[in-house]
Amino acid sequence: MYKRIATLISVVIVLSVLLTACTTATPVAPTTASTSVAAPGVTNIRWFVGLGSGGNPEEVKKEKVFVTKFNTENPQYNLKLDIVVNATAYDILKTQIASGDAPDIVGPLGIRGFSSFQGAWLDMSPYTKKYNYDYSGYDPSMLTFLNAGDQGTLGLPFAIYPSALWYNKALFDEAGLAYPPHKVGDKYTLDGKQVDWTFDTLKTVAMRLSQDSTGLTPNDAGFDPAKQVQWGYDAMWTDLRGQWTFFGPGSFVASDGVTAQLPDVWKTAARWYYDGMWTSHFIPTANYVASDLLAQGNTFGSGHVAMTPIHTWYLNNSQKVVWDVGAIPSYNGTTTAKMHADTFGILKTAKNPDASFQVLSIMMQKYAADLCDAYGGLPAALDLQAARIKTLQAAWPGVDFQVFIDDVKYADHPNHESAMPNFDKASSTYSNFFQLYTTKGDIDLNAELANLVKNMQTVFDQIKPIQ
Amino acid sequence: MTTANKVRSSMGVRRSDQINKILVTGFGLFIVLMFLAPLVYMFVTGLKSYDQMDDSEVPAIWPFSRTTFEYQGNPLDLYKVPTANGTKEMAMLKPGRTESEFIDPQNPVAGPITWVGNWRVLPAVYHSDPQWKNFVQAWNELNFPLLLRNTLIIALTGTFGAVVSAIIVAYGFARFNFRGKDILFIILIGTIVLPVQATLIPTYILFSKIHWTNTFLPLIVPHFFANAYNVFLLRMYFMQLPRELDEAAMIDGANPFKILWYVILPQSLPAVTAVSLFHFFFAWNDFFSPLVYLASNSKLWPISVGLQSYNAMHGRLPNLIQTGALITIILPVTIFFLAQRVFMQGIVFTGVEK
Amino acid sequence: MKADVQAISSAQTTTKKRQGHSAQNRFNTKWGLIFLSPWIFGFFVFTLIPIIATLIFSFTNYSAVTPESTVWVGLKNYSDMIADKDVANSFMVTIKYAILALPLSLVFGLLLATIVNSKYLMGKNFFRTIYYMPAMIPVIAAGIIMAGIMNTNTGFINLGLESVGIPGPDWLNSTFWIYPALVLIGLWGLGNLMVTLLAGMQGVSKELYESAEIDGANGWQQYLYITLPLISPVIFYNLTIMLIGAFKYFDLAYVLKNGTGGPAGATNFYNLYLYKNAFQYNLMGYGSAMAWVLFIIVLTLTILLFTTSGRWVFYSGGKQ
Repeated sequence: MYKRIATLISVVIVLSVLLTACTTATPVAPTTASTSVAAPGVTNIRWFVGLGSGGNPEEVKKEKVFVTKFNTENPQYNLKLDIVVNATAYDILKTQIASGDAPDIVGPLGIRGFSSFQGAWLDMSPYTKKYNYDYSGYDPSMLTFLNAGDQGTLGLPFAIYPSALWYNKALFDEAGLAYPPHKVGDKYTLDGKQVDWTFDTLKTVAMRLSQDSTGLTPNDAGFDPAKQVQWGYDAMWTDLRGQWTFFGPGSFVASDGVTAQLPDVWKTAARWYYDGMWTSHFIPTANYVASDLLAQGNTFGSGHVAMTPIHTWYLNNSQKVVWDVGAIPSYNGTTTAKMHADTFGILKTAKNPDASFQVLSIMMQKYAADLCDAYGGLPAALDLQAARIKTLQAAWPGVDFQVFIDDVKYADHPNHESAMPNFDKASSTYSNFFQLYTTKGDIDLNAELANLVKNMQTVFDQIKPIQ
Repeated sequence: MTTANKVRSSMGVRRSDQINKILVTGFGLFIVLMFLAPLVYMFVTGLKSYDQMDDSEVPAIWPFSRTTFEYQGNPLDLYKVPTANGTKEMAMLKPGRTESEFIDPQNPVAGPITWVGNWRVLPAVYHSDPQWKNFVQAWNELNFPLLLRNTLIIALTGTFGAVVSAIIVAYGFARFNFRGKDILFIILIGTIVLPVQATLIPTYILFSKIHWTNTFLPLIVPHFFANAYNVFLLRMYFMQLPRELDEAAMIDGANPFKILWYVILPQSLPAVTAVSLFHFFFAWNDFFSPLVYLASNSKLWPISVGLQSYNAMHGRLPNLIQTGALITIILPVTIFFLAQRVFMQGIVFTGVEK
Repeated sequence: MKADVQAISSAQTTTKKRQGHSAQNRFNTKWGLIFLSPWIFGFFVFTLIPIIATLIFSFTNYSAVTPESTVWVGLKNYSDMIADKDVANSFMVTIKYAILALPLSLVFGLLLATIVNSKYLMGKNFFRTIYYMPAMIPVIAAGIIMAGIMNTNTGFINLGLESVGIPGPDWLNSTFWIYPALVLIGLWGLGNLMVTLLAGMQGVSKELYESAEIDGANGWQQYLYITLPLISPVIFYNLTIMLIGAFKYFDLAYVLKNGTGGPAGATNFYNLYLYKNAFQYNLMGYGSAMAWVLFIIVLTLTILLFTTSGRWVFYSGGKQ
């Protein structure tokens, strides 16, 4: 009996050794990320990537190239790259901070990333003053994203990702519809008439662009929403505030900073979306969004959704669709095109905050173009924007990139990712509402919206300042 | 029993044996089918390309691709269009709500043919197109050999340590009655009640202070000190074994170690196999702990972490995930199959042997 | 006189017995501790410190992100838990799942093990492998598979049901159907349960079955009166493990619903809510308090299970 066990075990071991012998494996001795010995005079700076973009293989390649370039040209620093996948980066970074094993620089990350780690960031204003950081080349309206009120300056301007309305040209052709206008304020040609490009117009257009498997649209009798195969509109890859901000910027927090509220434009937005999903059937419900048909969430990229308002970072995600970008529709006379702004932060626990700041300034000023190229953003520095647009235009000849530039003017202030008291729990609370209204077609919307405000208030009240 | 009775009963038993065999095997097969259905989905999904996955006009049950026809440099999808001469396969040039333009693949120079009607009702033409290259792609992009090596190191050494220590500790609990044993056992059970999500940060801080982070050590060494699940299982199994053999061996002068090795273990092989399998597969699929301790060091990632990060990096590739998962389970399935043949042939303990 | 002699001799016998007992006791204690030493060592080195740390955290407002601003808050976390509707809700969710899952899992596991153990089964190895295989699949792949199969509009299960005229339930989004969905997925991955029951069944001496056969017992009676009682320790083991596991339920709910706890909190299991508080909301102190309440409750239930086990669990190695 033992002989057979011994044979089995030896077979398993031999198999495993053989399998691993024909690998391109690296030496067994593991490298500890944070205990490399620095040459004298060289400061180690650890750079953590993963809270925002930076985890894609293409991005990783470019980041590595950049780090080599940086270390060669700046020998007094040794920049070390730590790349963690976004889905788990938050937990990992929190664990590292808790254990005292934290990185120095974190990025790229957006406003949401900062809010999730509220209290952990270094206020850079002493350093920006000390080194007289040059803010002159930037659009002042973009700078507001980086000053988090009482927390000081959390980042240096780096990249912006404006949004626009992406549309699927083939679907518009098939339906015999004109393409959306590219300039804010231009009119749209519908049935031979010139109409304003508003969300109402969008609804009419989107309904015609929605079809079930027999080709009927929601306007036709006999349309079967259970067999739908095409939708006109989906505000994809964002959350509740991201969807509603297109109707007008707002916040769940009133100006006093502690009261929960629901701006009227957002109430309208909620009703419009709910109608779009469950009555007029031009927006896919959560079930459809999760299905293979809509590429498990990449709805525009699946080719079955005609329009989506989304940012420049989406560029490489819709390979098979022939697309262009147009203007975001207006609501009540105003257009809002939500904005993402990325930057890098320094953790309070950084071992050498001064050196970290210097490294960061060099990165943002000297290497902004390299980094923006890696992440697909537009540089916040105005003089670099034109060059970047030219590069993008060359890579995507059929796309009107000017729309993105125009949309910078219409960025949402306050930003849809801005801070709230008890931020993560508050986000979670409104995400619950999002789940509810995208999965249930029979709720009392007004009552649920009132509940949402009540729940947000409860959550805001949980955080009282520690006496 | 008389011989005649024996023969009569054995013949009757044989016939009802046959019926029972068919019934039981049939029922077992029915359950096998239900078990296999998700695995079939896994396999089929793994063979699809991204385009095949979100295509609304082909059956989802197998990787089908649209049959296309090249016209003026563009591939056009083929549809079955009803014409005056029966149904023809034609290439769709321009779809439209009320009428569409098609090209006849057999007569492309004739130019576009207009067909009136809603093109969505036309069945599409497709062919079977399994993407076997997904396996190759997943293997390469995941850097499977490296992930496999890491997983094997973690799983095999961990299993060895877990089994040996569990046997020793379970023997202690099962065969020796002393004051305080029950309290210790309750503490043992207590260690598995607290979820890892709660103890993660203090444990991580502990390991980081002794510089074990970014190595395999936090994933292997603690298992050498007996895990409560395994001890509980083996203890329960050991308690089942009659004490007569123990006592006989003790009278012969054997110390407890010898009793463990020569008396208890041979009778416990099914349970020891079970424990080995449990730990092996637990370590093989464990995701959270390796992720946290090896986060920055991708050269040490086991398969579970590699697979998850691959999934997240490429913005959700359900087809390649399934391929990766399929590759992942081939080795464990083989080991499981082999382990069965060795350990679970129905080891029978037929009473006290002299 | 006689009484005195009797008293002395009985005292002597008692002393001898006590001496014999204490020699036995010393033997047991010494060897017991020797064998337990690996675990005791590991416990003190790896397990005790984190457990105590978690207890301390539960009395503070510790947050992973700002560990330097931790202050002692006494029992505030615990009193917050009582007021927190979501804690009560997450308890209900866990119990709802456990009530459904535990009996069904046990029965189904027994079914599988019985089939595989049956002498009438042809091709045992094949069946064992297929029944065990789902347990080998990593949770993330299993989550994707199940999310695909159970999708309300496009999943195979509902498409199949609709083809025979039954409307497919909203498996993953209905607050009612999500529990059967989770249980079904759990039944699919029951391999470990099957293996332990099987190991137990194979440890039952064939002689017992043979003598029962001679006495005229049929298959069912053999099963009820021999197999089940003799594998009662295994059933007990699995019941305990599954009970603890139900309260630590996390992986599948996290993967299927992206950690949101939806629909409408129906998958907001206690451990998931704990994780959200500790890691996502940066309220590690609160999460630790939740962990300790869980600990006390589950440990109590487990001890209860142990003390009542004497009635129905039969160890063939004799009384312990």
